[in-house]
Amino acid sequence: MFEIRLQYDGTFDGFLSLVFYAFENKTEPKEIAKPANVSQDLFSEVIEVETHTAKAERVWKGLVNKSSLKNARLISVAFMSELPGIEVLLWRYLKKVFTFPQKDFYQNMLDEDVYQVVQTARKVKKEVHRFHGFVRFQQTADNIWFAPIEPDHDIIPLLVPHFKNRYSGQPWVIYDTRRKYGIYYDTESVSEVFIEYPALDLNTGRLSEKAKGSHEDDYLHLWQQYYNSINIQLRENKKQMTRLMPRRYWKYLPERNR
Amino acid sequence: MLKKIEILADAAKYDVSCSSSGSSRSNQKGGLGNAASCGICHSFTEDGRCISLLKILFSNICIYDCAYCVNRKTNDIPRAAFKVEELVDLTVSFYRRNYIEGLFLSSGVMVSPDFTMERLIAVARSLRQEHQFNGYIHMKAIPGASQDLIEEAGLYADRLSVNIEIPSEGNLKLLAPEKDFPSVLNPMSQIANRIISNKEERKKYRKAPRFVPAGQSTQLIVGASPERDFDILKLASELYNGKNLKRVYYSGYVPVNTSDSRLPVLQRPPLVRENRLYQADWLMRFYQFGYDEILDDRHDTLDMNMDPKLAWALRNPHFFPVDLNYAPYEMILRIPGIGVRSARLIVANRKWGKISFLHLRRMGVALNRAKYFILCRELPEKGYKLQPEQVKRKLVKSNENIGVQLSLFE
Repeated sequence: MFEIRLQYDGTFDGFLSLVFYAFENKTEPKEIAKPANVSQDLFSEVIEVETHTAKAERVWKGLVNKSSLKNARLISVAFMSELPGIEVLLWRYLKKVFTFPQKDFYQNMLDEDVYQVVQTARKVKKEVHRFHGFVRFQQTADNIWFAPIEPDHDIIPLLVPHFKNRYSGQPWVIYDTRRKYGIYYDTESVSEVFIEYPALDLNTGRLSEKAKGSHEDDYLHLWQQYYNSINIQLRENKKQMTRLMPRRYWKYLPERNR
Repeated sequence: MLKKIEILADAAKYDVSCSSSGSSRSNQKGGLGNAASCGICHSFTEDGRCISLLKILFSNICIYDCAYCVNRKTNDIPRAAFKVEELVDLTVSFYRRNYIEGLFLSSGVMVSPDFTMERLIAVARSLRQEHQFNGYIHMKAIPGASQDLIEEAGLYADRLSVNIEIPSEGNLKLLAPEKDFPSVLNPMSQIANRIISNKEERKKYRKAPRFVPAGQSTQLIVGASPERDFDILKLASELYNGKNLKRVYYSGYVPVNTSDSRLPVLQRPPLVRENRLYQADWLMRFYQFGYDEILDDRHDTLDMNMDPKLAWALRNPHFFPVDLNYAPYEMILRIPGIGVRSARLIVANRKWGKISFLHLRRMGVALNRAKYFILCRELPEKGYKLQPEQVKRKLVKSNENIGVQLSLFE
């Protein structure tokens, strides 16, 4: 018998459309992946599922109604992890929720899939929380506040509500240098931006001389001075620091990367 | 400006409070910032502490001569003071870059308590009114400042704190001759009462301005004076219950004034003791322990080799084993190795089956400790059946293995 592999566009709406398709056709996919990642072999059939916003919306609403908003949010957060195999895991989870609807299903630690989904979502949420703190804006010459980030998971969409609320009066861009896209907020609404060659040094995240605002270096130095002065040398504990602020995030933190 | 930051951040760093939690304020149109109720750390220094707020002194000039303080007037150190505009600009500029969650403003006592308090208020007022700044502000209420000034400060600040520093009145008088308990406790009571009356006001008029929405906190210095852990926890408990404090911070004494004979000679600050006190504090705030359960007059010192919850469990073997399938939540909270999150999950999971080791591992329970105190699927009827002494030998390693700084959430 042929194994079925499903292919979608990589978006969350695309994934929900695929869930709709799989339910409708009683498909049991062996693999769910973006076109670039789908494995091809003689014994499987690859089906490409198109994204339908309306179908995605129906799946989402069904999920909220049959279980709870908390459950639905858990799925959307775990999806952002981009971990290999996350789609099939979430598919199995969704199947259970739709077959035996339970409001607090996400607490069931007896179920291997629930455990995996919860652990994954926790990783993503932890990173989102960290980046509420680790995002560093620089003022550009044309008065936009620009922050490069390089998170493990695709968290930019999850960062937007916090920063939109906090910096509602200043236009900003948060840009993911690995995934090569960002969110631009113009003090009214947000939109996705794609920049092929951003005007910054990719080793430090600093804006180029031409691009940055005139006071940027001054405040940067004040911040670095503050960071050094507030440390208590007699209590040195670098292990603790690295545990709480892992090295992989230092690149764009001017207090660590000088 | 660089020099001022160097001096005034350096002078502020011994205050350990950094949290920015407990207040949630949404941004207003055209305003800058908000306060997130969960608290956000923006960076971590090499001592492993978090930077959340711009923690800084308005000035390190001080008319007092407290023995434990680096800024006392007899110390020959460089002195500096900000101008109000300078500090406001620094706060706003750091905040816009997302370096910080807000401002933690303290000061040495310049000229008089009122004179100093007026300067601190001027900074907060300018931030709130001229810059529509909605980020977090933690301000010190300077002991001895007038009631009117503390009232005004409370309308701008998310949190006010008055530091007790030395945990008993006798030793406070010895080490800080110009201070006494009333000068600290009076403003604390004023703030506590105003918080209560403000809550009432806001029930009647939702638009009534908020007074110190994130509550008040204080700091106790540990190891500069001879108080026992029992005395310290008792004081903390009285502050939580009697004065409704949100947080009590414990600061292991950092030997800054080595030549003063009233102070003990320490090589390093007592970090393990500080950590044990925080663990005990956690037990009081989140685990429903009373201070007199954690310690009493006979056991008046926290065990440095084990956390206070384990120590309590070993002193109270009649309480165990606890059956995870039937026991109420409050009892499960008392089991070593089980935290708030896992205790909740245990209760929620009963309907899906008998609680087993697999469950517990997935919930993040530290089974190596918990297993001696529980009944579950693998441990029916009597559990491990070990005497406290045997459990202790299995769980507590010798002194050498204790790290200098333990994690708060071990």
